[in-house]
Amino acid sequence: MKNIVFIVDITLKGSQREVGRWAETRSDPYVFCTKAWQKWCDKNDCELFVLDEEVLPHSQMPVSWQRYYVFDLLEANGIEYDQIMYVDADTIPHPDCPNVFEMSDRKFCFVHNEGSYDWILRSIENYSKYFFDGYMIPWTDYFDSGMLIFNKEHKDFFQKILEFFHINRENLLGAESKWHAGTDQTPVNFLTHILDVDYKRLPYEYNMCDMVRKELLTDDLLFTKWGWIYQYNSIPNNKDDKLTFYWMEKTYKHLWEN
Amino acid sequence: MKKNVVFWVGVKNEKYSEKYGGWDWMDIARKTWEYWCKKHDVIFFPFEKPIENDLTRFRINWQKAIFCFDILDDAGIDYDQIYLVDGMNMIKWDAPNVFEMTDNKFTAWRDTDNLNWTHKSIVGYNDFFGGYEFDKQKYFSSGLIIFNEQHKEVFQSFKKLYCDNVDKFVELQDKTVRKGTEQTPLNYHLQMNGVDINLDLPFSYKLTHIHRKDMFHYNWQLEEDKTPFFIKYGHVWGFSGLPKDQRTEVMNYAWQLVKDNYDENHILNRLVHKDEWCKTTSRKFKEDILRIFSDSKNLNCLEIGSCRGDSTRVFAECFNKVYAFEQSDENLEYVKEKCSDVDNVEYNQSDVYKNFEIPNGIDVVFVDAGHSTDLVKYDIKRFLEKNPKMILIFDDYGQADQSIKKAIEDSSLPISRHIGEYNGFTCTNLSGKEITFVTREGVICNL
Repeated sequence: MKNIVFIVDITLKGSQREVGRWAETRSDPYVFCTKAWQKWCDKNDCELFVLDEEVLPHSQMPVSWQRYYVFDLLEANGIEYDQIMYVDADTIPHPDCPNVFEMSDRKFCFVHNEGSYDWILRSIENYSKYFFDGYMIPWTDYFDSGMLIFNKEHKDFFQKILEFFHINRENLLGAESKWHAGTDQTPVNFLTHILDVDYKRLPYEYNMCDMVRKELLTDDLLFTKWGWIYQYNSIPNNKDDKLTFYWMEKTYKHLWEN
Repeated sequence: MKKNVVFWVGVKNEKYSEKYGGWDWMDIARKTWEYWCKKHDVIFFPFEKPIENDLTRFRINWQKAIFCFDILDDAGIDYDQIYLVDGMNMIKWDAPNVFEMTDNKFTAWRDTDNLNWTHKSIVGYNDFFGGYEFDKQKYFSSGLIIFNEQHKEVFQSFKKLYCDNVDKFVELQDKTVRKGTEQTPLNYHLQMNGVDINLDLPFSYKLTHIHRKDMFHYNWQLEEDKTPFFIKYGHVWGFSGLPKDQRTEVMNYAWQLVKDNYDENHILNRLVHKDEWCKTTSRKFKEDILRIFSDSKNLNCLEIGSCRGDSTRVFAECFNKVYAFEQSDENLEYVKEKCSDVDNVEYNQSDVYKNFEIPNGIDVVFVDAGHSTDLVKYDIKRFLEKNPKMILIFDDYGQADQSIKKAIEDSSLPISRHIGEYNGFTCTNLSGKEITFVTREGVICNL
């Protein structure tokens, strides 16, 4: 039984305004993600599993929520698995990135989302009020759902996430378009605490989001000297995701083609 | 008897006054630490006069680290743990006692604000430290650190290291690396000496680079509370990473928002709260009431279940008139005493479930008498029958048995605001048992 790296890389027809991050323009650079992770998997005796088709039409369920079908998908494809790491399609690992599966303690693992706390706290407060009856989560443990590690023991947890989506679908879609404060991420943060899921927080170096804010996204690729998994999000002036493409291509060539 | 100490760094160097936009910000920060120290029986020890007067060779940041133990020993302070605090930090009035969380280890917080700066600083000092393979994930900020006597030796060796290499360090600091003063060398020194560092406390205890974190904002989408996020969620606010000459302006802005809380005569500092007496409301609950009803002097309030009057006094602050109803004679005397400085409270000794008539002209009711679901449902029904627009405030919404919550749900009463303490808040009930709230302490309906 191997550990699995799971990526959702679905390209939808339509503009970014219509289909969000899965629009053709946005998904162009994701090829660097899948290629890099494939090589990392080869090096660490893991298997890469890429979801490139919708499980449900995105009109019924936004693509970002569909990752939580991962257990069904693996089993439907006859893939045996031990632990699973989900990574967003805008990430690239360093070739020397340690085998994170060995750090999990077999818990649900994530990395705290260091970024704009205006966005994070608004998102937490809004979902708290309208979906979780005022329940509050420890905001300093708020995670980016772009990098998660889990295993079979979390199957029931993921099932409950999907149930939560289907029960609250209309309100979730409304909230998403009204607040622009995330899709699955904040609700899943809440469910982790409400369902008392035992978790482990990994250091920032294992999902380095919002690197511009940390002054790491520099032309000398300083971030590659700092940590292990890079997420190319929250890049200012990123028209048509051209900068995402630029940075992911540059990183891939630097780390994986040299 | 040994006591915990806040070693507060507040040296005002006139030479740099212009660069720092004056030193008023230090006076602001100091007030917050003095208040917090008094509250937690901690010695506030200001470090205001340098030991070495040559501040080029001995920057204050170096002096605080290398002389801290000497200064305390010379002053005859019988210290337990020492919390070394840079003068630019303010502590929130209700920040928990962090000394109780250290496990008696060297405690610090990771510095992840500007990793470009940190990387260059670590690399810049690497040769000096013989190419030591430094673990970057353990790099901490030296502006807020906690340690104790068992660390004296490593600090004394740090002093020796500096004194033996002053010229080299000054060159690295001012000419070669230009990334910080003692912070990176201290990081190297402690790591190389195998000091066990506790980096596990939440970073709400070291909220630096507030602008970089976008925490000067408030939730402009809900528009319920204009308190900036850093005040609402942070415990220690570090005004670093912003232009130094703007520090006084920014810290003064923060001070104007929070200063009342540090005044012992402030209403919330004179009242009893739920953490001390489970039958009243929490300080957070009262803060929320004061904020939400800050402009409600045209409204009249009815309180059923006044208990000992701590919430009553808050309502008296907000509303035109408060009709306080309490069943117990003894409690009512407490209510009168608590509200003796105001004249807008009408006291009534009554069982509100017998021979009780709702006074006319009531706009707001604090429903805090019977706590069974049936009694609360009965209260909701009778108050809304009297006036369908009546604003209803409930305490104990988050208690584990959910009796209040169920009454509100059964009455199909929409919730306007969640207030008070959060899930996880604990207090001790009258029989000495600890109780934990499962969601927010209170709610307001019909607002």
